[in-house]
Formats: sequence, C-alpha cells, structure tokens
Amino acid sequence: MSSQDAPVADGNSEKAVSVDAVICDQDGHGVEQAQWLIKERPVTLYLNDHELVTLLCTGHHLDELAVGFLKAEGFLEGREDLEDLRVDQEAGRVDVKSRLDTSLVERLWQKRTVTSGCGKGTVFYHALDSLLSQPVVSALQLTPAQVWNRMQDLHHLSSTYRTTHGVHNTALATADEIVLFRDDIGRHNAVDMIIGHCFLHHLPLADKLLITTGRLTSEILIKSAKVGIPILVSRNTATTLAVELAKSLNITLIGYVRAGKCTVYSGAERVVCSVS
Amino acid sequence: MIYLDNAATTHPKPPAVYERVQHALAKVGASPGRGAYRLAREASSIVARARATVASLFNIRDPNQVVFTANATESINVVLKGWLRPGDRVLISAMEHNAVLRPLRSLARTGVQVEVVRCGTRGELDLEQLRSLLHPPPRLVVLVHASNVNGALQPIAEVARMCLEQHVPLFLDAAQTAGIQPIDVEAWQLGMLACSGHKGLFGPPGVGVLYIRPDLDVAPLLEGGTGSRSEEENQPDFRPDRYECGTLNLPGIAGLAAGVEFIEKVGLDAIRNHELELAKRIETGLEALPGVRILRPDERGTGVVSFIVADLHAGDLGHLLDAGFDIAVRTGLHCAPLAHKTLGTFPEGTVRVSPGFFTATEDIEAFLDALGALLSRRHPRH
Repeated sequence: MSSQDAPVADGNSEKAVSVDAVICDQDGHGVEQAQWLIKERPVTLYLNDHELVTLLCTGHHLDELAVGFLKAEGFLEGREDLEDLRVDQEAGRVDVKSRLDTSLVERLWQKRTVTSGCGKGTVFYHALDSLLSQPVVSALQLTPAQVWNRMQDLHHLSSTYRTTHGVHNTALATADEIVLFRDDIGRHNAVDMIIGHCFLHHLPLADKLLITTGRLTSEILIKSAKVGIPILVSRNTATTLAVELAKSLNITLIGYVRAGKCTVYSGAERVVCSVS
Repeated sequence: MIYLDNAATTHPKPPAVYERVQHALAKVGASPGRGAYRLAREASSIVARARATVASLFNIRDPNQVVFTANATESINVVLKGWLRPGDRVLISAMEHNAVLRPLRSLARTGVQVEVVRCGTRGELDLEQLRSLLHPPPRLVVLVHASNVNGALQPIAEVARMCLEQHVPLFLDAAQTAGIQPIDVEAWQLGMLACSGHKGLFGPPGVGVLYIRPDLDVAPLLEGGTGSRSEEENQPDFRPDRYECGTLNLPGIAGLAAGVEFIEKVGLDAIRNHELELAKRIETGLEALPGVRILRPDERGTGVVSFIVADLHAGDLGHLLDAGFDIAVRTGLHCAPLAHKTLGTFPEGTVRVSPGFFTATEDIEAFLDALGALLSRRHPRH
C-alpha cells in the first residue's frame, strides 16, 4: 500500500512546507523565523470531459477527493458507475468518467429549493439534497467513553495540524478504532476523501462514525445522510439547521467532545448512556 | 411545461375564452348596467347571456338567481356572513377548504356554533353522524362536492335529501366539480351554490358564481352602486342586484360564458371521463413506484390525485419536478388543512396532480417517467 492509499497515515511531509517569516510583537520588535505552512492549491474536476468544479484543497488523495465529491453530489451512484479515473497531480486536474446518466443531476445541481407557503416547509435548501438524502438506518451504538477515546485517537493522528494549525482532521471509525484518517484545509474535502476512499474500496459506512474537528453544519450533515453515515462526532458545536436535519434524517449528532464530556444533539438512542 | 395544476386553475382555456375576453375589453369596454348607449347595452347583454348560460349548466330555473362575484371564496363569504347569526349552528364536513373554514372560525368568535361531521380516512362523509347532527336542525349545512385534495366525491343527492327532510338549507361548494360533475340545483333543491369561474368552467380568474335559493334571505356582504334604482339610498332587494354592486368584471364574465359554452359543446360527460381516465392512469403509474402512497378516495369525483413519497418532503418533490422536468404540480396543504388532518397528511401535505381536459395522455406518461427517474435515485438502506 502506497502512502497515498494508507488509511491512517498523515503524510505530514507532503502537505507542509517551511517558509520564511518574521514574528513581530506589539512593541515593534521582529525576529526572523521559518514557519510551517499547509499547502493550498486549486484542483479542477472534469466529469465526462466537462469541467465541473474547482476545489481548493491541500492536494493529496485527489482520487478519493474527486470520487467522494462526485458520489456525495449525486454524479456517481454505485462503484460500477465509475468508468475511468485519471489524476494529473502536476496539473491539478482529475478526470472522471461516469456511466450514470448525469443529465438530471446537472440540471438540479446547486439549485435552491423554492416551495410555497402552503404546508410545513422543507429543511433542505438544495433540491438535489432532498432527493439524495434519506434517513440513516444503522444498529451502531457506542458509549461516551468510546466517543472520547476515538476523539483522542484523532488528535494523536493529526501531526500536520500540530505542525501547521492549518487543517481540519476527519476520521472514519468503528466504536473501537479509527479505520481511516484524512485531513485537508477544507473540512468538506477531508470528508469527501473519506467517502471517496470507501467508495473506491467498497467499505460500508452504516456501521461507522465520522469524527471531525470542524463544526457540525448542515453541509456535513447532508453529505453524511447521502452516503449513510449514522453518527457524526466533533470537538466543536453543531448548528441549528444541522440538528434539525439530523433529527429528520435519523443521524446521531455529538458535539463538544472536550474535557471528558460530549453533547448529544440528536439520535441519543445510539449513545449508551443513562440520562438522569 | 407540463401543467398539472388544473385543480388550482385550468390552463390553457378554450381559444374562444381568450377571444371573448379580448372582445369584451377591446371592442365593448363599457360598464354593464351603467348606461343606455349602445356599448353599455351590449355589455349588459353579455352579462345577461352569461347568466343564462351558467343557469342552464346548473339547472337554475331563474337566471337572475345567478350572481357573479370575484371568486368562489367571495361567494362563500356572502352566504356564511349573510346567513349565520350568533347562536346559529352550522354543520360542515371534515374535508372543507379554508374558504369555508376561515370565515367560520371568524364567525365562531361571534357566537356561531360550528360542528364538523366526520369523514373517513379516504375523505368519505359519515352520513350516520350527519343524520344524527341534523337533529335538532342546524341553520345551515356546508359541504364540499369533491375534495380539492384527493378528489373524493360526496353523496350530494343523499345529503340534499337528508337536509330537505329537516328543512335545512344545503350550501354546496362546487369549486372543484363545476364543469366536471353534473349539478342540478332544482332537483336537489340546494339552498346555495358557490363555485369558481376559472377552474372547471374555463373562465379567466376574477369571476365567481353564487346561487341563493329565492326564499332564503341572505344579507349582502357588499352594498353600493348597482346601476338600478339609483334614487334609493338602500341596497336593492331584488336579485342579482342585491348581491352585485360596483362595476362587474365584464371581460371575465364574457370569458366565463365562453368557457361554459365550450363545456356544453364538448359535453360534461366527455370532460369528466377524460379527467377520470387520466386520474386512473396516474394512480396505476404511481402504484408501480417505490415508496409512494396514494391518498385514494372511495369515490372519485375529479381528476385530482394526491400522493406522498416516504421520507421525501412533498414540497421538495414538487420543486424537483419543476426544476428537473418543467412539470407543474401543487404541493403542501392546498389551503385545506382540515382535509389533510382527515387524510392523515397534516402538516406536510401531499403532492397533488390535477390533469384537466386539455391534458394529454402523453403528459401523464412524461410525469410518471420523470417521477420514476427521480425516485430511482433513492435506495432503501434497510
């Protein structure tokens, strides 16, 4: 297995570079000191020879990033839809061929939902999300101690963050161990890489939890619902819309995993805990 | 665009409707009943002919009992607010539209007692409960002829008979059935009838129809200039002037007459059969799709078909059909929250597909194909 494929390798040396900088204090004194910065670069996705989107990312695991993005956005459905995948690392270009008829998704992609005032409104803001998101069915359960331990595992893996403070860390885990770690300047990119890795390697998601250092927002929530991840965990907080969506999509939302505690915003039945 | 929202308003209209509206506005232009010159007389004549045409469709003996309003909602408000007084009891069905419910909720605050007759989960009226609630006789029974949510047809002849036995006027809301189902005002001895001009009657928006039985003294909602007995400061007591004041919507009424003439020419049966056939095809097609539940009526009176898809918001699905396929359907509660409570689809509502006489079978096939393509992207994860 190459370093690009390694499930839990951080690959720190490939993502951070040292640059010259001056550290100034408020009294006006400066000191020259090299700083480690995270790489940022544009990568353009082409779907069936048409330019689709340019992502700003750290530039690694581009195969996973591309298919994860396309899977989450509905341009790929099953593994059999992926006809070809070519990564030009130098040019920052990924070409994907999908056997799926993507014309419908192209028409609906990024279209804002418009509904009437007649009836209870939808929680979705993009039409396509409402179609591709379904309530997640999973028997996965875990204890608060397991939540805490997996978050600790995530921190131990994040050497790039410790060096640069410039990435979001994301991991896919069972209740007992982390099975995949990815980081990127964009928290969505890191999640897409995980989705892409599982898509390429036929890994199931219904028995796993996703751990992130980013906030639990509607976008991460919807992305997870589309691929069927039942539990989301973050050391940060959740947003109101994410909680509303999580409730309607049967996703367990756990935030603020800090100081030996965590906050369960939705789907508490998956967390083994006696509530007083 | 495939238009499947004919229960809201029919579209397109027969070509003669557009022509008659244009003629009334551009070539006639004068205000009916407001002058003795040629154009004013012609305007009056258009309205009189329209009254006779509508009277004929509903078997109303005296065309002067046909009142033109702005819409069915106004017609309903005239009756409810002009007939019911504090202390009165009124019976309605559990399938009524907000056009009935909202004025009654307002009247209830003044002391009118509103009682809802149960309907089954398919929208059918509980006749036994109605029979029981007719003792003692209420002041009024209000009944929607067919539901605007699922097309459920109520047994109007039987209800009319039950009401007559108790000498209770029956007020029929025919917004969905006028121009589709036979309506016989004289045979049923209806107390009142209200309907829209722009739905099954193919008229333009802005005209409603109201009939009030001659012996029922309903107070008018509006009072003002009628072009008749102008020397008197009190509202005329004869019909239709008692209920028609202010300038009438001549182009709308002219268009409505053309729409009703079209119905007479094509035939009510042909229109109804076409729409019911399309509804049947929609239901058959929907049955074959995963996760779809159809809100079927016991007896279907119109082409209105409502359905829901498991775990997919009706509004989202409506938007997907619009944005993805240029297909227009109505979603949500259809201004009938009580009906949705009865059918078990409150508060999210349903997707409502309502074909019209000008809807082709190919339109329905295109709708079913589009829905199939959308739902094929959803997979059960059980």
